[in-house]
Amino acid sequence: MDHFDEFSRPLEYLSPMDRHLRSVLRRFIEQEVMPVRRQYDEDWKEHALIEPAFDRLMGELGLQKALFPQEYGGWGIAGSDYIFRFAYLLCEELGRADTGMAVALAVTFWPLLVIHLEPYVNKRLIAEFAPLFCGTNKAMFAANAMTEPQGGSDIENMGLLKGRTIRTTARLEGDEWVINGHKLWPTNSGGVARLFGVPCTTRPGSSDIDDFAFIFVPADAKGVTQGGPYEKSGMAADKNGDIWFDDVRVPVWYRAHGPGRDAEAFYQLIPFGQVASIAFLTGAMMNMYERLYEFVSTRTYRNRPLKENPAVAGIIGRIAGDIDICRILGHEAAMMGDRRNTPYGLPLISEELVGKIRNIKDFVSDRAVENLGKVMDVLGCYGPDRDWDIEKHWRDIKIIQLWMGGKQLCQMESARYFFNCETL
Amino acid sequence: MNKGLDYLFGITAGDRDGDAPGVISLARQWAAKEVIGNRLDYQRNYAALFEDKARVLALNMGLQRLAIPVDQGGFGWHGPDHAADIAAVLSEVGRADSSTGVILALNYVLFSVLTRFSEGRPRLVEAVATSYLEDELKIASCILPGPGSAGEETPLFKGRSILARVKAHENGFVISGADLRPFAAGLKADLFLVVCADERGRPCIAVVPGDAPGIERGRGLLTTGLSVLANADISFVETEIKQENLIQGPEAVPLLFTLLNLFLGGVSLGAGMNFFEILLDWSDSRIICGSTPLKENPLCASVLADAAEEIACSRLLLDGLARLVSPCRSVQPLDTEGLYTYAVMIGARVQQSIMRAINRGMELMGSAGYAKEWHAEKHWRDVKTIQSLLCGMGAEAPAKMDTARFFCDCKEI
Ligand SMILES: Cc1cc2nc3c(=O)[nH]c(=O)nc-3n(C[C@H](O)[C@H](O)[C@H](O)COP(=O)(O)OP(=O)(O)OC[C@H]3O[C@@H](n4cnc5c(N)ncnc54)[C@H](O)[C@@H]3O)c2cc1C
Repeated sequence: MDHFDEFSRPLEYLSPMDRHLRSVLRRFIEQEVMPVRRQYDEDWKEHALIEPAFDRLMGELGLQKALFPQEYGGWGIAGSDYIFRFAYLLCEELGRADTGMAVALAVTFWPLLVIHLEPYVNKRLIAEFAPLFCGTNKAMFAANAMTEPQGGSDIENMGLLKGRTIRTTARLEGDEWVINGHKLWPTNSGGVARLFGVPCTTRPGSSDIDDFAFIFVPADAKGVTQGGPYEKSGMAADKNGDIWFDDVRVPVWYRAHGPGRDAEAFYQLIPFGQVASIAFLTGAMMNMYERLYEFVSTRTYRNRPLKENPAVAGIIGRIAGDIDICRILGHEAAMMGDRRNTPYGLPLISEELVGKIRNIKDFVSDRAVENLGKVMDVLGCYGPDRDWDIEKHWRDIKIIQLWMGGKQLCQMESARYFFNCETL
Repeated sequence: MNKGLDYLFGITAGDRDGDAPGVISLARQWAAKEVIGNRLDYQRNYAALFEDKARVLALNMGLQRLAIPVDQGGFGWHGPDHAADIAAVLSEVGRADSSTGVILALNYVLFSVLTRFSEGRPRLVEAVATSYLEDELKIASCILPGPGSAGEETPLFKGRSILARVKAHENGFVISGADLRPFAAGLKADLFLVVCADERGRPCIAVVPGDAPGIERGRGLLTTGLSVLANADISFVETEIKQENLIQGPEAVPLLFTLLNLFLGGVSLGAGMNFFEILLDWSDSRIICGSTPLKENPLCASVLADAAEEIACSRLLLDGLARLVSPCRSVQPLDTEGLYTYAVMIGARVQQSIMRAINRGMELMGSAGYAKEWHAEKHWRDVKTIQSLLCGMGAEAPAKMDTARFFCDCKEI
């Protein structure tokens, strides 16, 4: 194999933008990210190095506009039949360089998808928020503020809990929603995002999905307070912190769709987030392969290149094989999302689609966590060295296994679908 | 946690006698009072507090002197008989902070090696001991054989390249070698145990004082864990050492590996046990699905069981290895090769198990496990660093070759 691009993917699945966008992104990455990414960890709080790269990626290259319709200056991707595959290529390409950066961009799409994806389109809100993202050359971020102090998984466990454990409340007063609550950990919190999508309940303790509300809240609305970013093991390009909503008032039409439909539109985010997660992981593993290739070709055991030792070859062969399989699975997961409106596709909110995509994400996360750990050991005394890039990916990607409800929720949702479990 | 670590994992603790229980309890008190009790403060001001706290343990509580021979003013825990006790002390220290554990582990390896080969070199032991008795935190490091570079033939230690060379010079030896990667503390170490090849390519250990002329220290490296130990590559440019500073003979390097595997296994085990304490606190108090304590969910309970199993089995394996190191306690003494093989085998297994326990446990902690505030992630980074450093390169492959050579008499691998 001559190049990491040769890891398998079904070529007939590629979106029309694949070749062009990939080359634009790759140039951006080589110029703006690769030369400085080893310094990102120390920049976790200030983002002095990271912010200019975001300005270029999201503002100047314009990726933050991608979902919006062309009439607002966007690229119209949300209305295309390849949004999942578009997201996959974007997240994989960026993930190769820095998964934290990839997450910050993908999560900006996340709450916006709730109002963009057929059949859940809210034209008024699209028109309202388009100027924020399409009218600037500076990076503009959104956040999807789900997780609460008492737990993140439960809120994502819509199939079983249907929003019962959500504590952030939305109360209708005249023509305004009044929001109270505490969210934590959303990507692009910690003072970064200008717009939040906030899952709330209109009746605390209710398991009726009609009481689930998805409401947009501008970050500068009165009553919104944000804490500083948390210090984490990795993913420095993504800031995460606390957000408090204290009698925050937004217009009544900032609710995405209304009773019942909010929950469905929100549930679509789960497969999207999982597909993006898989893409971050395959991107990171492809870069792992590049660095591993260099190491095992230039370093020796018994005075021969490591890769020529059959025992080592057994290990690295399995690792590369895993990347190949994971990439095929990732593209399949993206295609499942893009087939949603076809006669042979499944709606994004079907238990089958959610179960199958969660299953792929769980599988790929496990492979990535194990393989990056193994590659650190192949590098041995160079494994923990930032200069070899492996340890950064190892630290960064662990959270991908843990977020969005964690591994155990993935296992439960898979079991629920494959075995028709009724009480899990 | 209502049962306590001793009850859960300390089944062999009853074997200890003499001063051991007291010293172990001293280390535990240090861990609780100086670090674990003030975790948040320690984490936030780590760079500043690390050395202060390590000093308390090493100097005020005297653990820096533990392995120095009695006749040199130390506590005399350098022989094989004390291997198990040392590993237990290191586990207590590792519970609090792996970097402090690594400093002490390397210190104990140093004195165990020096005293084991002290015959004919009384001044060396005395000189090193004297410096370790000063009121200063001392850090020893070692440079092990590892990956070579393609196209360059090097002498080998069991397939691993020996990159430092030593040759006779006047009344002593000179060492040369460029950009060698120490185990830790390249910038800070006061002394290096360097595995080098003599003029006939045979592995030996050079004891090189950190201030010897001709030592060049590279730039500080950014590392996954143990970052406070400030590693850097080292070059020896015709660095002179005294004759007695070179330890030759076929037993020296295998002993070094044996002790590193045992003692660093102790450190990682301690980190794993403290991770488990953190995990238990979390799983006692975290509620999922609105009303179920995390640990009462059968799937989560099975993950907790996995973590417990890995740690408990590691503890037993390490106790077994310590017994093999102390021949009088073992059933059947092993020769150098056998002991080396068991040490490498068990050492690799213990590091893998502790990493697996932490990786699995982190699954249950969600974002909390990933936040620096909770300290779980520090154990994860530190143990991973120890594991990668200890295996040297090639993941498990070189250790598997050692094992196959010993058990199956393979000749060509
Ligand atoms: C870098 C980063 C980015 C993030 N981005 C976002 C974001 O954009 N938006 C956002 O809202 N949050 C975000 N999070 C938070 C993250 O999604 C949550 O932390 C995650 O969903 C887990 O929630 P928790 O930490 O509260 O753990 P808990 O929900 O308390 O879960 C603890 C454990 O219980 C298990 N569990 C839960 N329910 C079940 C069940 N029914 N059966 C079996 N096991 C179960 C879980 O799998 C997990 O192992 C982010 C976190 C990080 C670190």
